[in-house]
Amino acid sequence: MSDQTQTEKENLVMEHLVSLTYRERLTPNLNRFVDELLEGRLVGHKCPSCGRVYLPSKGYCPMCVVATSAEDEVEVPDTGTVTGFTIVTPVAYYGQQETEPFVFASVLLDGADTPLNGQDVTGLPHDQLRTGLRVKAKWKPKDQRSAEGISNRGWGSMGTVVDSFEATGEPDASEELFKDHIF
Amino acid sequence: MAANDRGATDIAIVGFAQSQSVRDAAPSEVQLLVPVVADAITAAGIERSDIGFTCAGSCDYLTGGPFAFVSNLEAAGAWPPISESHVEADGAWAMYEAWMRLQEGDIDVALAFGSGKSSPSNPAEVWAQQLDPYYLAPLGVDPVSLAGIQAQALIDAGKATERDFATVVADSRRNAKSNPNAQLSGDYDVDALLAEPYYRRPLRKHDVPPISDAAVAVIMARGDKARELCERPAWIRGMDHRIEAHQPGLRDITSSASTTLAARKAGYDGGPLDVVELSSTFSPQEIILKNAIGLGAGVNVNPSGGPLAANPIMAVGLIRIVEAASRIIDGTANRALAHATSGPLLQQNLVCLLEGE
Repeated sequence: MSDQTQTEKENLVMEHLVSLTYRERLTPNLNRFVDELLEGRLVGHKCPSCGRVYLPSKGYCPMCVVATSAEDEVEVPDTGTVTGFTIVTPVAYYGQQETEPFVFASVLLDGADTPLNGQDVTGLPHDQLRTGLRVKAKWKPKDQRSAEGISNRGWGSMGTVVDSFEATGEPDASEELFKDHIF
Repeated sequence: MAANDRGATDIAIVGFAQSQSVRDAAPSEVQLLVPVVADAITAAGIERSDIGFTCAGSCDYLTGGPFAFVSNLEAAGAWPPISESHVEADGAWAMYEAWMRLQEGDIDVALAFGSGKSSPSNPAEVWAQQLDPYYLAPLGVDPVSLAGIQAQALIDAGKATERDFATVVADSRRNAKSNPNAQLSGDYDVDALLAEPYYRRPLRKHDVPPISDAAVAVIMARGDKARELCERPAWIRGMDHRIEAHQPGLRDITSSASTTLAARKAGYDGGPLDVVELSSTFSPQEIILKNAIGLGAGVNVNPSGGPLAANPIMAVGLIRIVEAASRIIDGTANRALAHATSGPLLQQNLVCLLEGE
């Protein structure tokens, strides 16, 4: 391909920059979750039909397809088990602020049926990270907590409230206890 | 074979539900859908497991949530796995797909739903993106401005006046007084409406629909199953949709050839209709659509108030079908026509003809 063809092709490119702005409030159930979270409490909804505990709540149980409400609120402790993880080695793409390898782990809190995804796990070297590891939330001081990053999209983490989940040193949990609650 | 063919095409709406249209719903789109789908199932008197096929209509651009349509499926109960599909279109097109699927003849019951929350977005920003990427989208032409051009073309062609537009609005809001799901209703004087300032000349604010959040669901059943489930099913005599050129500049925007064709193909022969529900998003479009279908004076158009009273995009078209079907099921109408639209300035049009037994 000649340089001239390249130039002609480049001239065919038309830039169309699009910006769409969305503004939304947290759903009532997520709003309640955040209010409690900022106070250091982990509150989800227990399905009145099957008993599964969703944390945070979606406002319904997708398995039974029944709505859940404030009446179904349950508090769970801040201890749990790592059910899955990845160690991300960041490359310098646009918007990436991390420079060192970091953890992206799923933590199933004791008494919950849905894991919290995208959590940092500390207290042990990355090469010792494993499923079944017992962890406990390391909360930010109250005056440093914020709801920023928590959205209805479900892709936010709790990093603005909980610094990380720290290994407790307890014996690992049996796979039997969490194998049905990985995602 | 003949009996089979007949059985396969005998399909009716036997249950439905819709949420109230509101300007800014606090729950998520799935949360709006959960009770609506459940209520439609209850209304049809079926179990969730009776549903052989599910089709949903929604648009991720409305809430800006990538793959939002996937979580919407949770309202249908997707575990254990179900047979389902999604259209990035109004729920009326989801119903069309489910209706086609029922005609295969191997299942008896289908669910279709449509949902949309326009409130998180700026519709003028979002809908400019559905225009062609070379000429119109870069200009950022929004639906209201396009509708203004259409309204002016209608006036210039001598097909309507601003008074006609205001009359459509007054009728819509008066009719909406009896619709608990509508957002805008009340008694309005045509002269008072005409005294309002222009919003996009020659349109005034009231010629433009409200921004709405809502969800709607229908249950369809085939042949004897429909008769078993519903005392007076709303039989779908025909359903058809047609598409015109995307670029509004290539069409006569004062008429709607695709609506005319869809109405004929759906089986509308010009006979009497007890109820007509039109997706006339902007008041001048009611005049265009009435002409396109061939509706005379005195036809009961948009007894629900239509999109000018509540415009939950992606649900609004299926709501038209539900409003028409509900009047057949409750016995107040025997023959009804419902219309849904998509794309800029009535680009795509769907017509559904419904009848009682």
